[in-house]
Amino acid sequence: MAPKRFFLPKSLPWPVVLDILALLLWGLMILRYWVTGLMAVLLHPDYHWLAITAGWLLLGMAIWRAIALVRLRQTVPTEHIALLPRQWSLAILLAVAVFGLIYVPRPFTSDTALARGIAEPAGLTRSQPQRFVRNTPPEERSIIDWIRTLNVYPEPDAYADQPVNVVGFVIHPPNWPNDYLMVARFVLTCCAADAYPVGLPVKLSGDRSTYPSDSWIQVIGTMTTETLDQQRRLTIAATTLETVEEPSNPYEF
Amino acid sequence: MSQLNQGVTLFLSLLVEAAPFLLLGVIFSSVLAVFVDERKLIQWMPKHPALAALSGSLFGCLFPVCECGNVPVARRLLMQGAPPALAIGFLLAAPTVNPIVFWATWVAFREQPAMVFWRVGLTVLIAVVIGWVFSVQRDVRPILQPMVARYLPSPPPRPAARDDFDLLSGGTYLLQSGGSALKLDMPIAAAAAVAAPPQSWSLRLRTLLEMMFQEFRELGAVLVIGSAIAATVQVAIPREWILELGQGPVTSIVAMMTLAWVVSICSTVDSFFALSFASVFTSGSLLAFLVFGPMIDLKNISLLMTTFRSRAVVYLFLLAAQLTFVSTLVVNLYTNW
Repeated sequence: MAPKRFFLPKSLPWPVVLDILALLLWGLMILRYWVTGLMAVLLHPDYHWLAITAGWLLLGMAIWRAIALVRLRQTVPTEHIALLPRQWSLAILLAVAVFGLIYVPRPFTSDTALARGIAEPAGLTRSQPQRFVRNTPPEERSIIDWIRTLNVYPEPDAYADQPVNVVGFVIHPPNWPNDYLMVARFVLTCCAADAYPVGLPVKLSGDRSTYPSDSWIQVIGTMTTETLDQQRRLTIAATTLETVEEPSNPYEF
Repeated sequence: MSQLNQGVTLFLSLLVEAAPFLLLGVIFSSVLAVFVDERKLIQWMPKHPALAALSGSLFGCLFPVCECGNVPVARRLLMQGAPPALAIGFLLAAPTVNPIVFWATWVAFREQPAMVFWRVGLTVLIAVVIGWVFSVQRDVRPILQPMVARYLPSPPPRPAARDDFDLLSGGTYLLQSGGSALKLDMPIAAAAAVAAPPQSWSLRLRTLLEMMFQEFRELGAVLVIGSAIAATVQVAIPREWILELGQGPVTSIVAMMTLAWVVSICSTVDSFFALSFASVFTSGSLLAFLVFGPMIDLKNISLLMTTFRSRAVVYLFLLAAQLTFVSTLVVNLYTNW
């Protein structure tokens, strides 16, 4: 049995209650992202289980602590070494948890892609040749598959007339003529903090204003080579271009 | 508006990604405090500063925590009387020299397995050197936050100091059943360490729970602040400015070290992040990213400040930065790798 000195006065120990509330809300915040599918906007799917486990653990710790408080009405005295006063820490944790419970994180947009710089072929892609499957038929390649293929052999003419079928969001690069747009995706390696955009130019038959920035499109066509920004670039000559729903996981990996 | 959205998404993704590792660190650190008498562990450790730093560096294999989680463990080690070389070695190397990170780096750089060995080797080397440097400071208390320093025994020049400490220092005490004294105004961490042996399992479990809450509250709040700063800087500084520096042997290292410092990504997943720069950056600069990032970054500077005074954090930062820079420059200039 615990020594008597550990007993608190009879009144409700508010600091402990707030502690429990903070952990409870943090657990709920993480689990909410999982349940609503929003976790896909924040993390690479490989790391979802880690965050989900953390969410359950936080919830479990909060419940355990609450049961201990109700059953035993006692607590161990807490003095602690802190950079921040206890109230500040609690306030920050509670505020972020409440915010995280309400806010709906949005995937990055074309503005972000333009600001971050869209990876050129042979640019900033993960060099992971063991994941490059030579036998993927061209029409089944995603945007990142195309960029990886280009990394291996960067001559655009080598892909002339190959069929293309990709889904991505629309970027209007400011220097390009009005009948060109870029179909792009963000690529995640771990979480949104390291997302980088990749994209392919699309040659339209009409004006690009039909397809506003950040709308999602499916582009079907064939590969050709065009000169954009004084650079020869592999370009999709679109035959069919349809607006589609934003996919549940907006990133590629 | 889109910038704000981007910043908030970045912020939340850093938080959600770091939370499991922070929790893991908090759990390990609390279990260590309640169930393991580190003073025994510390007594087995070699006394020579370099060897102590080396053992500290390899502690990470026992306590696989990333840089969000290693600060509480290092702090605990110091409070239990570990030599500074051991604690510093642990602090700098543990986030990298542990099985999880080894595995993650291996997976990411399967095409360049040498990266794993360079990363681990350089990290241990740098941690040992810095641990050794800090061991010159015989009394470590002036470089620690006063709240931490209060619980440290006096330095070795008075060999009996540790034994006398409990009796000769002022304060309010309770006499324990074994004849030892429990200082009442100690924080729970130190009190748990002194009082742990005679406790029942249920009380130990509840002390563990209490400590986990306390550490999560404190380190969680600091992580929030760090992530907010990291997200703000990422949104505010155009990334291509950083990338433009990426070609030369010197500028690429400086750029990648800056990026590592700014992005504050967890060491368990940073090798995947580094991989996205593999095609444009020199191998030495990627190595600099992987070695320097887990030691010191924007996020964990605020965590370090809970233990060390700002002067010591500046020394740690400068030493780690210089050693990383010089060693990876040597890799860039004198190896073909």
